[in-house]
Amino acid sequence: MAKKRQEQSSDEPPPLKTARKKKPTTQRAASDLPWHPFWRWIVSLIVVLHLTAVLSAPWDLATLDALPPGYAPPSDANGRPQPLPPPESVVWQDPVVTRGLHRFFHDYLNLLYLNHGYEFFAPDPAGTHVIDYQVTQADGNVAEGRLPSHDGQWPRLLYHRHMMLAEQTQLMGPQSGQQYANHLATVYGGPSKMQLKMHFLLPPHRVADNTPLDAPSTYQVIGTVAGHPRVSAHTSRNIPSSEAPVSIPGAQP
Amino acid sequence: MGIFADTRRYVAEAWQAWSRFWFAPKDPATLSLIRLLAGSLLFYTHLVWSLDLQAFLGPDGWLPVDYLRTIHTLPGDQQAQWSVWSLFFLIKPPWLLWCVHVFALLVFLCLMLGLFSRAMATLAFLLAVSYAHRVSPGAFFGLEKINCMLAMYLMLGPCGARYSLDSLRRLRRGITDPVRPSTSANVAIRLTQVHLCIIYLFSGLAKQMGENWQAGTAVWWALANSEYQSLDMTWIASWPKFGPVLVALLTHATLFWEMYYCCLVWNRFTRPLVLWMAVGVHVGIALCMGMITFGLAMLYANLAFINPTTVRRWVDPLAGWVAANFVAPIANK
Repeated sequence: MAKKRQEQSSDEPPPLKTARKKKPTTQRAASDLPWHPFWRWIVSLIVVLHLTAVLSAPWDLATLDALPPGYAPPSDANGRPQPLPPPESVVWQDPVVTRGLHRFFHDYLNLLYLNHGYEFFAPDPAGTHVIDYQVTQADGNVAEGRLPSHDGQWPRLLYHRHMMLAEQTQLMGPQSGQQYANHLATVYGGPSKMQLKMHFLLPPHRVADNTPLDAPSTYQVIGTVAGHPRVSAHTSRNIPSSEAPVSIPGAQP
Repeated sequence: MGIFADTRRYVAEAWQAWSRFWFAPKDPATLSLIRLLAGSLLFYTHLVWSLDLQAFLGPDGWLPVDYLRTIHTLPGDQQAQWSVWSLFFLIKPPWLLWCVHVFALLVFLCLMLGLFSRAMATLAFLLAVSYAHRVSPGAFFGLEKINCMLAMYLMLGPCGARYSLDSLRRLRRGITDPVRPSTSANVAIRLTQVHLCIIYLFSGLAKQMGENWQAGTAVWWALANSEYQSLDMTWIASWPKFGPVLVALLTHATLFWEMYYCCLVWNRFTRPLVLWMAVGVHVGIALCMGMITFGLAMLYANLAFINPTTVRRWVDPLAGWVAANFVAPIANK
């Protein structure tokens, strides 16, 4: 019934006089709803705040600080352009609304596990990271493996979790690789050695030439980490400097 | 006088439309179906943690809690953010970890079956967030985001009104009143719908920044990733003329669909096209890239746009058959 009334009013925009006659009908339709208007106002406010919060996280992550239009970096005495100004420089223009909203809702978003973007395969599908490891066990045997691997990492979701472990070293930095190496060393009971590799993707013409997607040439080592068994749960972070990651080229401390 | 009256009328009609959109009572069939499916997904995806529980969720494991909390600490702060919370940050002994895990699995199972549905949905949400924060960063991906979203909105409405043991319990108690339309069911469904629109919009906007999405080659790079690959589609490369065109069409269609989902899904003529496209995209990702659970989670969220009448037409006969053949014999014993 209410739907019919809505359709009629949208199909035939009435002149003002007709509209005035319809006003009581509108009020009656709204009062058909079960919740008292006061509660509808309260819930509406909560809904708007919640959806603004939901929007604020991906919106903020999608926006970048910008340089003014036509900005040219200063050049040195020889005319060579200098690098871009540091992030704290006033030259950068902050997206104040998105940053402000995100800051305001930050804890609410965390509490509900909403503090993230939705950048699935974005901005571009990229190559993946894999981790190859070797652990020398107490009896001298060497355990080898890869993250992710179809050997033993089954079902597919478990395989995917291991793939994320390798992938998200890029989010967390080199210390995460150290933690993985220490975990493997603890599990197998001996010193471990781990290589983080980038697996590059092949363009269509290489695949058409029968180059396998996992050809050895598609992997590049980007870091090596040595791990040792953890003594206890609370000493794992205090790794002596001699046992720190061997080398992770390009990685920031 | 005229402008004030028109403005007042506009505001009144806008409020009426807003009220009807959010607060008109709706049959909880759609919400109940989402509960059944999302509950089964929550159960399965958390059951898989059992295969290596200590390594992923224990106090040490791949990423010890102490280390993870340093990542949860904002620059300049001494302590990790209080709002990034998880039961698993507090659990030390393995037996307690297993007790909590088994309890969580029972909660997800009850949610799937629709036993004490509303309470189970609330617990399921709290537990799902606990798991998600423990593995973020580390082993999380889009699945956690959608799992938590679905659990969050399920707890807002009468998600056990249909297709549930709760409804059978009501019948056994002699309560034969038909399920009444519910305002909270509508609020829960509307929130899921709008949230899903936000997800697709920002997913599309992020892709729009990528050169390969713009150039129409992104789908190739997704298919050529052997770590993701579960179905080899790289034979496309052996078609030098048709292959690139097919890849480009798939890439552009995916991007266009994601960016305009939030507009086209509300129109009753374009909605079926948008939802069938969702089926195509997510089934394609599930089959070709092995992300079956994530694909299912997204499809279950898309069910929010299916009218309760349609849901009842599809599911009621099946639910009646299941009740008659499996539940009634057990109940009569």
